[in-house]
Amino acid sequence: MDYLDYVQMTTGQKIAYKFKSFFTGIPVAIKKFFLAIGMLIKKFFNFIGNGFKGYGSRFVKGDIGTKLSYIVMGAGNMFHKQIGKGLCFLAAQCAYIYFMISFGMNYFQKIYSTDVEVEPGVIVNGAIGKVPVHKTTNMFGIEEIDNLDTLDDSNRILLFFVMTVIVSVVFFVLYIANTKSAYASGEEIKNGKKPIGFIDELKTYLDERFHVTLLTVPIVLLFLFTILPILFTIFMAFTNYDEKHQPPGNMYWWTGVTNFQDVFYSDPMKSATFGKILVWTLVWAVFATFTNYIFGMILALLINKKEIKFKSFWRTMFVVTAAVPQFVTLLLMRLMLDDKGAFNNMIIALGGSSIPFLTDCTCARITVIIVNMWVGVPYTMLITSGLLMNIPEDLYESARIDGANAFQQFTKITFPYIFFVTTPYLITTFVGNINNFNVIYFLTGGGPSPAEYYQAGQTDLLVTWLYKLTVVSSDFNLAAVIGIIVFIICATGSLITFNMSKAAKNEEEFS
Amino acid sequence: MTNTDSKAMQSGYASKKKAVNTLVYIILTVMVLIWIFPIVYLVMQSFRGEPGISTSYLIPKQWTFDNYIRLFVETDPKTGAVLPMDEMRFPYLRWILNTLLVAVLSCVISTLIILMVSYALSRLRFKSRKMLLNMGLILGMFPGFMSMAAVYAIMEIFGLKQQLIALVIVYSAGAGLGYQVAKGFFDTIPRSLDEAAKIDGATRNQIFWVIILPLSKPIIVYTALTTFIGPWTDYIFVSYFMKDNKDNWTVALGLWNMLGNQTMADWFTVFCAGAVLIAIPITILFVIMQRFYVAGVTGGAVKG
Amino acid sequence: MVSKTKRAAALVLTAMIAASALAGCSGGGGSSSKTTTSGSTSGTTSGSSAAEVSAVDLDSAEMKKNITDAIKKEANGGVIKLKVWCSGDDLQFEKSRIEKFKEKYKDAGVEFKITPVGVGEDSAGGKIKESPKDGADVFSFADDQLSVLVEAKAIAKVGDIFQGNVVAENTKDSVEVCSSGGTPYAFPKTSDNGYFLYYDKRIFKDESEVANMDDMIKKANENGKQVYLNITNGWYNAGFYFAAGVKIEYKDGKQTTTFDSPEGVKAVKAMCHLAESEDKGFIGTGGSAGDNPTVSQGFNEQKFAAAVIGTWMGPAIKKAIGEENVGAAKLPTVLMDGKQEQLHSFGGYKIIGVNAFTKCPVTSQALAYFLGSPDSQIERYKERGLIPTSNKALEDEKVKADPALKAIEAQKPYAHAQGQSVGGVYWASNVGGFGGEIVAAKGKMDDAKIKKSLADLQTQTNK
Repeated sequence: MDYLDYVQMTTGQKIAYKFKSFFTGIPVAIKKFFLAIGMLIKKFFNFIGNGFKGYGSRFVKGDIGTKLSYIVMGAGNMFHKQIGKGLCFLAAQCAYIYFMISFGMNYFQKIYSTDVEVEPGVIVNGAIGKVPVHKTTNMFGIEEIDNLDTLDDSNRILLFFVMTVIVSVVFFVLYIANTKSAYASGEEIKNGKKPIGFIDELKTYLDERFHVTLLTVPIVLLFLFTILPILFTIFMAFTNYDEKHQPPGNMYWWTGVTNFQDVFYSDPMKSATFGKILVWTLVWAVFATFTNYIFGMILALLINKKEIKFKSFWRTMFVVTAAVPQFVTLLLMRLMLDDKGAFNNMIIALGGSSIPFLTDCTCARITVIIVNMWVGVPYTMLITSGLLMNIPEDLYESARIDGANAFQQFTKITFPYIFFVTTPYLITTFVGNINNFNVIYFLTGGGPSPAEYYQAGQTDLLVTWLYKLTVVSSDFNLAAVIGIIVFIICATGSLITFNMSKAAKNEEEFS
Repeated sequence: MTNTDSKAMQSGYASKKKAVNTLVYIILTVMVLIWIFPIVYLVMQSFRGEPGISTSYLIPKQWTFDNYIRLFVETDPKTGAVLPMDEMRFPYLRWILNTLLVAVLSCVISTLIILMVSYALSRLRFKSRKMLLNMGLILGMFPGFMSMAAVYAIMEIFGLKQQLIALVIVYSAGAGLGYQVAKGFFDTIPRSLDEAAKIDGATRNQIFWVIILPLSKPIIVYTALTTFIGPWTDYIFVSYFMKDNKDNWTVALGLWNMLGNQTMADWFTVFCAGAVLIAIPITILFVIMQRFYVAGVTGGAVKG
Repeated sequence: MVSKTKRAAALVLTAMIAASALAGCSGGGGSSSKTTTSGSTSGTTSGSSAAEVSAVDLDSAEMKKNITDAIKKEANGGVIKLKVWCSGDDLQFEKSRIEKFKEKYKDAGVEFKITPVGVGEDSAGGKIKESPKDGADVFSFADDQLSVLVEAKAIAKVGDIFQGNVVAENTKDSVEVCSSGGTPYAFPKTSDNGYFLYYDKRIFKDESEVANMDDMIKKANENGKQVYLNITNGWYNAGFYFAAGVKIEYKDGKQTTTFDSPEGVKAVKAMCHLAESEDKGFIGTGGSAGDNPTVSQGFNEQKFAAAVIGTWMGPAIKKAIGEENVGAAKLPTVLMDGKQEQLHSFGGYKIIGVNAFTKCPVTSQALAYFLGSPDSQIERYKERGLIPTSNKALEDEKVKADPALKAIEAQKPYAHAQGQSVGGVYWASNVGGFGGEIVAAKGKMDDAKIKKSLADLQTQTNK
């Protein structure tokens, strides 16, 4: 179908067509996504290959200063009279060497320790840490840990190991930058130019390289408090860190992919629980997203109806509900929805029979979706309100002249506009709902929990299950596996949809 | 079509319209009642004098202001003397002050970070930009509390274990990932402004401070308010990071602790009073924010 | 180093024997030479058993000096810094006991900075396990968490010089729950962490009327009231499984259960039978609020005629229906497989543990012992009404007359020690959740479903 065909369609057909093409586009997008990943991997290896090539050729072509900078960082720059920059590089190298000797090396050695007696008579290869707790009995017959300050806590060893790896990677990047910079300044001298001075170079960080200035602090913070912990957690999935192997009293060690096997097939109860929770998580995300979306939109339409007065009053009444912390309102609802709570008492007083809002699987699932609407609709309403104000009034004007009634105006103008503008928002909410912790945790706590679920209940989402696994049953390794799976689902899903959605294209057009 | 027909139609149209509007008002009223009910219930509970946890009736049988007083004044059960704050079981005022401190600091830091990141990603073009955008997108999808244990250990290394400043860091360190809305807003500011300034010899640094930021009031207010409200409502992180250090709890954790198995029956109404008190300022902020939220979000979130 | 310790140990133990001989205390038996060897073996392998150490007079001049010296040695710059966890309700009381402790060892010449912090006894153990180094040095907790703490190696063994006294001073059962695999880990504090029946004397005239659950429910229903027994909680509904003969055992870090058996089915059917009367004279769930608030509210609103709960709710119930109307009795019988069977229970204790990672092990243990000593227990009963475990305290006339204590004693033959029955695996399983299903279904559950659920529970709890 070409553009002409499209223009000739009625609005309804246009919408249907766009819907269709959105959904039929998904398989193509998935294919594209994996192709893109393939390309990315190829690019990556090319990059490394080229890097090596450049690394070698710069060494061969460079002058003595450049060559020196391959061993002593900053030497090339200093040789080329860029003293300030050279000193910075040198300082970085010294700092790194000091860091490694005094701190880092230790953890490279301890991350996979062999022949560790983790318990009397139990010798383990691949333990994380070398020195287990050692106790002596004093003269009162009281046991004292005599290596309180020197014992190896597997958690700390793993964490410090990850930290050392990150520092090393950063240092490596700096090191390559150092050789490049040395070579570049050498070339400039060869060509009879004067290399840029330290102050002038610093000035570029306020202009051409302003993005570096802006992004450094946030990225460092992200590395420290987001990426480092995430890597740490990922590693945890490959260990036996569970209730029976908790540091600092115990050590844990590498066990390979057994935890993944457990979740997927080898442990019948865990894998069955995982399957059921996964399905419910997806069902929940679909319902939670679309109910909020549709009701939010209807509400916004009602409030923004031209003749309705006190618009901001109505809006405020709904927004107020978002101002009370969720754990408070959800807890109140939990009490009210109880089998013997206020609602059921009311129903019984009116002559009905009580409804198991939270204790029956189906009822509880419907309840969480409805309560989630209570939580989320005000937000959607606000956003849609804003969009409605953005639709040019003359569109409606001309529609009215053409004799369109209110319903037609909605289907032909309002809905298409809002739907296509909010597609990315829908995707974010969908992902947000997969990870929606509060509503489930505070409302049902995951229950009802029949016996066939491992450490979970029928309204548990993957995230709340994960939380219970860490807090209640201390299955840290299993929780890490679930976390990785949630992450993969969300990341693939949203990368695919984002890249096929209009917004991503628009943004590029804009640039 | 004759003139009279049209008139009749018009009057019919008008009455129909009136009926529709009445219907809309009714629907809106009913919906507001549903939405506001839990809040009204909360307020009523906070004025309830008779003991016990949640009641099946809305209006208290005994009205009292005691629940609010108990938030600030605790007496020794034996001697009846007023306890100093250090010995109070639930030192609400201290928790409020803690939360205020954390909220203000993390609000300032996060807002700055968000503005910096979204400006760079929106209006500057550099090699790794696309990669950073995608990375930001997927990093935000890791369940935050999954790595709490690691963050706690990192805080320990820095000697910030169970300190309020650690909370500030936790709340603002991830701010770099919350750039979407603000970036969307920056995207809508015409690029010609930058170009003109560049021709006049302004650096990008100057453009950021002198041209873009003054134009970004709605998004700054929006970002600041959302980050300010965060610490008042978070329970999961603060409970993990503060553990038993009651002096450094925030108000959400403190309130939650009133509902322990042993204390719930006694403290439920006080809990409600505490929740009402923190809801009041947040409500006011929300009402203010509403305007900016619409302005910021319609320019932002919906356009990715 | 080792030889020095050995010599010192021998010295102290000689002193101990001499002191105990002087004071005339009789211990739990066992030869003193054995104590010497167990006391001086170093490393994690030493497995001294609870019963083999003898009581020591800790207040003898020599012993006191030894402990004082050890405290002095542990002080860092003249300061001993300890954190104590106890129930929020007990804060003021424990504070007063801590003052007494400081007074007792003031000769050490150190500054004691001991801060009590209110942390619920139901969760203290879990919090210590989660991160021992952030936890309290001395902590009071419910005995069901002991196994978890031992597994995580987060709790210290009770020192030999204290263990003898603990054995001599406290009831046999209370000492038993403080040990795991034959090793003592904690100091008994109170014996009231089990459950029994509180009833309203206005409805049920005397104990004969609360002997049988079915009759109780019938009578309560006639009076428009309810009997409360939370079967949605694995702590309470375990009583049914025990009564039916299901094996629930925890030994050497391993949980074994036989839920998937005819006995298991019997127990579930008994619960189903009760759940059929849900809202008609029986309440089987605490709902979202949980047990304590539900019971408190139930009696406050005059809706409950009886409830299966523990002493911690005693004051609230007394306040709600008047002290003279409160009766306490052992649990009733329930209809099981056509016969009336006595309902079993968990006998529970609140006990005091010492963090394995404390920087001041001797001071902490001395403090833990002091807080669990007979004197402290008597004071605690007077001030807080908590039932003691110490033989001496139980001799006290006022304690003896306590109806709650009588009920606990009557229930004792059917009470199971938690430390020997259940570990963390049990609490993490869905035993309670399955009870929730029974109540939600009002007891209407087909045999296939019961069988399947019991099999699942068994899989969950055999680890």
